[in-house]
Amino acid sequence: MSTYILRRLGQAIPQLFIISVILFALMQAFGDPVATLGARTPPKPEDKERLRRMLGLDQPPYVQYFTWLVGNDWQKLDMDGDGVPETPGQRKGILRGDWGNSLVTRRPVLEMIGDRLPNTLMLMVTAEIIIILLSLVIGLYSALRPYSLFDNVVTGLSFVGYSMPVFWLALSLMYLFAVNFRRWGLPYLPTVGMFDPQVGKTPGELIKHMILPVATLAIISIAGYSRFVRSSVLEVLSQDYVRTARAKGVRARLVVWRHALPNAALPFITLIGLDIPFLLAGAVVTERIFAWPGMGRLFIDHTERADFPMLMGILMLISIAVVVFQIITDVVYSLVDPRIRLE
Amino acid sequence: MKRNLYTFLSLVILASMVLAACGGGAATEAPAPAPDQPEPPAPEQPAAPEAPMFSGTATITFTQEPDNLNPLYTSMWFSGNVLDFCLKGVWSFDENNIPVLELASEVPSLANGGLSADGTTIVYKLRDDVTWSDGTPVSADDFVFTYDMIMSDSNVVQSRYPYEDYVTSVEATDAHTVTVTFSEPFAAWLTSIFTFVLPKHVLQPVFDAEGTIDNAEWNKAPTVGVGPFMFSEWESGSHIILRANPNWVNPPKLEQVFIRIVPDDAAQEAAIIAGDTDIGVFLSSDQIEKLEADGTVDVIAVASGYDEGWFLNVSPETAHPAMLDVNVRKALALATDRFTIVNDLLDPEINPANVTFWDGTSPYGNPDLEPYPYDPEGAKTLLDAAGWVDSNGDGTRDKDGVELVLRYITNTRELRKNVQAVVVQQWSLVGIGAQLENYSSDVYWNGYNDGGPQAQGIYDIAEYSSVGNFPDPEASYNWLCSELASADNPDGGNWQGLCDEDLDALLMEQAVTLDVDKRIGLYHEIGKLMYDNVYYIGMWLDPDLWSVNIRLQNVKISGADPFWNAHEWTVAE
Repeated sequence: MSTYILRRLGQAIPQLFIISVILFALMQAFGDPVATLGARTPPKPEDKERLRRMLGLDQPPYVQYFTWLVGNDWQKLDMDGDGVPETPGQRKGILRGDWGNSLVTRRPVLEMIGDRLPNTLMLMVTAEIIIILLSLVIGLYSALRPYSLFDNVVTGLSFVGYSMPVFWLALSLMYLFAVNFRRWGLPYLPTVGMFDPQVGKTPGELIKHMILPVATLAIISIAGYSRFVRSSVLEVLSQDYVRTARAKGVRARLVVWRHALPNAALPFITLIGLDIPFLLAGAVVTERIFAWPGMGRLFIDHTERADFPMLMGILMLISIAVVVFQIITDVVYSLVDPRIRLE
Repeated sequence: MKRNLYTFLSLVILASMVLAACGGGAATEAPAPAPDQPEPPAPEQPAAPEAPMFSGTATITFTQEPDNLNPLYTSMWFSGNVLDFCLKGVWSFDENNIPVLELASEVPSLANGGLSADGTTIVYKLRDDVTWSDGTPVSADDFVFTYDMIMSDSNVVQSRYPYEDYVTSVEATDAHTVTVTFSEPFAAWLTSIFTFVLPKHVLQPVFDAEGTIDNAEWNKAPTVGVGPFMFSEWESGSHIILRANPNWVNPPKLEQVFIRIVPDDAAQEAAIIAGDTDIGVFLSSDQIEKLEADGTVDVIAVASGYDEGWFLNVSPETAHPAMLDVNVRKALALATDRFTIVNDLLDPEINPANVTFWDGTSPYGNPDLEPYPYDPEGAKTLLDAAGWVDSNGDGTRDKDGVELVLRYITNTRELRKNVQAVVVQQWSLVGIGAQLENYSSDVYWNGYNDGGPQAQGIYDIAEYSSVGNFPDPEASYNWLCSELASADNPDGGNWQGLCDEDLDALLMEQAVTLDVDKRIGLYHEIGKLMYDNVYYIGMWLDPDLWSVNIRLQNVKISGADPFWNAHEWTVAE
């Protein structure tokens, strides 16, 4: 097992290296970061030229890539624009733990990710747990009573939920529970943000502000996932070994819990394993609408600004997470499925 | 089997708990004060003779997050708005764009001797009773330090305008007098010199230690500032909190200002209606009715100099040949019914038609000019006379085998797309064809070397809102011959291929004319010249729409420094 994990990790290194080259090449298509630096007041021409020089954006892409990868602290740079390099470079490169600075905020990329990651995890992990639990319950219940009233209603609702655009659902929930409930004098929820400034950032406030975004994320995903669980359980229930178990008189509850569910859960593990790395990426639309300060917004905001060190940082983080969680998924798979042996 | 399932389930639960713990734990942590920053003085500390009482919180939504809070590193509008509260310059501009003294004790003029007769020396007299929020007096050394930091080659500052081109020295004549010397008279000094000042006692040690202030803690947490409020906390993507500064010369009434970042327009609207925010901005006129429906919100229009208009490509190399003919350009103006567009898509009271680029920057727009009327017959006559007739009967005029189909480009903003659709219809009535292009904003504004469609002249008409150095009209880099964008001058700001010697002469003259009335006259001439030659076609005045909840009182938004009078705000409970 440990040889297997080590081998997989060894394979991951060239994999990540190739990913970084491809991502960096794609970044070149994002346009000019300096052009959008001032937002409403674009920089003056001479400032643009100076900024490009000082930020190293006038260097050819491969030089910029190597600076990003291994740094430039052994080189001298031309900061005053006289053509003679005089200022020692500061960058250490990602291989030595320096993820670079955002071109937009000038702050370290890792620090900015560190600011947002806890918020995103708080939102996404809560949503994911609710999604997993509810889809298991709903899917299992539907599968055990297929074509019953409950199953039909849930199936109908699933399709409604699945086909709803996120932004529409989010805004509808906001208008109903935050705007109209307040108008009607009912107990209401807040519209945006993480807490009410009058109260402060208390756990109670955080929970209150999480209800709508978590509900938005959950409604959309439970729909699909519960269908997945339902069909998976239905398939297993029609297998020979389940029929055998029933035939030899095992209690129905035991058939489901010991024979059907563990086997039906296998494909679900793969699905969750693929999901987890993307929990780090956050939910772009939901975070934006509910003004939740997470990773999805960080990514989108900095994409619009062509802030490539920031984007490289986020994308590499997700790439690493994907690789790691794929390995974990495979290991978990071998633990729950005796048919699989890792060599 | 059973054991394996339990292993799996416990793994899942364990993983979820670990993730939830890092998530919840870190985010609910109280923000720790930066160790190297002085503690902000407690509000009950008596600073003025009678201890001021602060009460209430004003909540403001920003649709974009400030990049940085050190004005050296950003020229972003929202960053500047935060600094209205906590980092004042020599003066602010009130809601009528009149200077209101902050750190200076007078506005330099010829009469008070602050302005030299040749216009190359300006003496700033500072108030002697202003202190930084930590109690250190504000002195002329802070101003010299600010200039040094802007010009230092080890600071990657956002802009050195106008210091790099115009200022030769900044000196502290005494503790409360700063003398700025210019290489030539600089007309835009009132709005662009010392709009902020940095605390030398905080940042000089950082500069000495690190050789740069690029990474100073102060840049994201300017706890030592100068203004009615003090910076307290900035949580990335979420909010910025400012607290009352009892040491400020005009102590505020409110206890706290809470700025929340709400990127989505529809969510901002919901927050305004629900009363979760007191001030919102960048609203559109179709939202007004909904926002004001409950009677708790006022929407106000504040001119900040932005005029929506058409920039016409007149470059002999890249423009459609018809664009080089002034009569064709005039026909475009006559064939476009801007009055209907404004009536149908906007609000004619908020967005009247503008004529020149400077109509939103009063008093620099020429009041004698009338917008070109909607006159399709007149347009046809002009086009006929210019030789553009429909010789092949396809419904579009042509000349020498070239069809009169113009590339009309803008960004992806919904309103602009709608305007394009209406204009295409109006032009078709006079036989002008249009090829519409919409670019995402980053591409639209890209420079010459990055293939920006405007910079490279891949257009005939480009629509957008723009402004000069509001409330100063300076925007010459859009029009000067020397600013023509090309492979040799990729950063040139003149994307119209426009090079008119008379216009150049007027623009150069106004830049060095310190006499305000004379400069206004020059701008009226510039406006007339551009109107007669149809280098720019105004569409509508584009003021900023702000919402203010009626519980927040005495709010007077200014176009240049929106929150200039925040010290007067009060909350009605």
